[in-house]
Amino acid sequence: MKLSTKLTLFITGSKLVIVLLFVLALPFLVKQIASEYTNYTLKQQRKQVLSIVGKNGLDYYFQGDQNYGSYTMLKEEFIALLPVDKGVSMNFIKDSQRLIESDTLNYRVLSYTFKNKGKNYLLEIGKTTTSINQYNKPLQRFALYVLIFLIVLTILIDLTFIRMLIRPLEKIISSKLINRRFPFKDGQKRIQTSTADFKYLDESLILLMNQINEAFYKEREFTSNASHELMTPISILQNKMENLLADETLDEKSAMAIIEMMKTVDRLKNITKSLLLISRIENEQYIRKEEVKPLLLFNEIIEEISHRLEEKHIQIFLDISPEVILKGVNKDLLFQLFFNLIHNAIKFNRHNGKIFITEKHLSNNAYEITIRDTGIGIPKQDLPFVFDRFMKTNLEGDVGYGLGLAIVKSIAIYHQIQISIQSEIGEGTTFKIVFPES
Amino acid sequence: MKVLIVEDEKSLAYEMEAFLKKSFYLCDIAHSFKNGLEQLELNKYDFILIDLSLPDGDGLEILKKAKQSNPDAAYIIITARTQLKDRVSGLDLGADDYLAKPFYLLELQSRMQAIARRKFSITEELLAIGEFHIDLPKRVVTFGQEKIELSRKEFDLLSYLILHKNRVLTRAQLSEHIWGTFVNDDYDSNYIDAHIKNIRKKLNVWANTEWLETVRGVGYRIKK
Repeated sequence: MKLSTKLTLFITGSKLVIVLLFVLALPFLVKQIASEYTNYTLKQQRKQVLSIVGKNGLDYYFQGDQNYGSYTMLKEEFIALLPVDKGVSMNFIKDSQRLIESDTLNYRVLSYTFKNKGKNYLLEIGKTTTSINQYNKPLQRFALYVLIFLIVLTILIDLTFIRMLIRPLEKIISSKLINRRFPFKDGQKRIQTSTADFKYLDESLILLMNQINEAFYKEREFTSNASHELMTPISILQNKMENLLADETLDEKSAMAIIEMMKTVDRLKNITKSLLLISRIENEQYIRKEEVKPLLLFNEIIEEISHRLEEKHIQIFLDISPEVILKGVNKDLLFQLFFNLIHNAIKFNRHNGKIFITEKHLSNNAYEITIRDTGIGIPKQDLPFVFDRFMKTNLEGDVGYGLGLAIVKSIAIYHQIQISIQSEIGEGTTFKIVFPES
Repeated sequence: MKVLIVEDEKSLAYEMEAFLKKSFYLCDIAHSFKNGLEQLELNKYDFILIDLSLPDGDGLEILKKAKQSNPDAAYIIITARTQLKDRVSGLDLGADDYLAKPFYLLELQSRMQAIARRKFSITEELLAIGEFHIDLPKRVVTFGQEKIELSRKEFDLLSYLILHKNRVLTRAQLSEHIWGTFVNDDYDSNYIDAHIKNIRKKLNVWANTEWLETVRGVGYRIKK
């Protein structure tokens, strides 16, 4: 899952949890607030009552009665004053029932004792509990709307910010990690960002890519230089032997020995030539501008190699349409690629074996050529290494220097051809060559 | 014919000289850029073989200068630098051919022969062997009026053997000639034998081919 998706999910999820918690806690909270507020009003009212009483005197209210009581018509509130014993002292608020005009109602009652002219009085101020809670529902609804609005707003702000924050990372991924082609282009651009972590990541990646490039270039240079340097001594050896062999007085035994030596030098020459070829392909010294008909190419190769086919009585089945044209390729290199594959298909085939060359047009405009043989196959554990240079198989005897497939691989990479191999011991080997689009 | 070999690798120059001498070429050797320019001032040559990588200068410079002093000579560039760029600039400067190291001296010689035929109008293009005639430019082999169909490689082999008649050619020399720069690690293969077998089969229909000899263990020779 992408980081941005994860963050989006996390933010939305966490906000939803908060909303849920808030919705659950809301009735309780609102009730609490209403209750606190009521207590506060009661206390305010007590203060007012006491100050009025202080101003007017208690008698003004009692008017000869033993006590005083006042309430509205709806009995939502009441205020009562009555004298109590000297020892009584009260100052609290609590819910209790009161009987007013034969109605028993639930009130929140503030009870407070105070002294006036040496006597002890009790002041009670009450509010019906129903009136306390009457605003709860609308309040809850309002709070919920505000909350939802705020949450949506913060989610939007968060997502925009995250997108901005992560953009450099996505740029790093798209420019440096996805679709990168080896060797990497020089002068990789730095991603603009103020986030230190991304800067660090970006710079580390550039550094790594440069290091890999450098190692790759060095290896390429080494291969190229080494093979060039080898060419001169090989030339001298080869030409000396050639001159020796041309000597009329040479006896047969010596001639045979020189021939054997020449074969060895030839082998050395071929290894060096193969390495040079690979390094030249890697250095992009071939032009990819030709158009090639694979059918003609295969016919040419089969003609070249027909003696080998006859020698082992191998039948080759070629099923390639004459219309197909591969564009933007190097003909010599493609010839070499298919030659090496067919050559291998013969070399590792058995007597009276078969080779099938078939084609397929893939859905994404790509074109696939398959070369299948009925040979001895390649052990599973060797398959990942067959394209490596100097790979030696465990086969006895008839084995090359392991550069043939390395050449194939470098030609394939150079042409952006995908090549894959399947093999079954005793059944044969199949090479699939996919051309991007032609 | 006079040949100047500009090659800093002394033993290589010596081997080239030794080989070419046998075919009656007169050789001078220059081991450096400076030496090469001096020799060119002093003498006229028919062939100038130039190694591109000299210790004290670029072989292509020699080619440029030599073209002025020896405009009629034939030039063959010899180098381990087989890069396309060098090849193109060498041929642009008027080189007649290009040989990449390592090469067989036989190949060098036959390139020189080919240039000589072309450049100095030595017309031995219609070769006769036994009762067969070979037309090099048209690439056909005939027996009387009958045309014999040979494959491209078979024709190359046969004409190469005829051009170097009375000399044993090894399988490696022959295969280098017909494969050229193509990399083929099939060094132990018998494809030269297979081609020769085919050539014999096709020619034997018309007349015997005893002149095409197998030299056991070494290679082939056309005797005349």
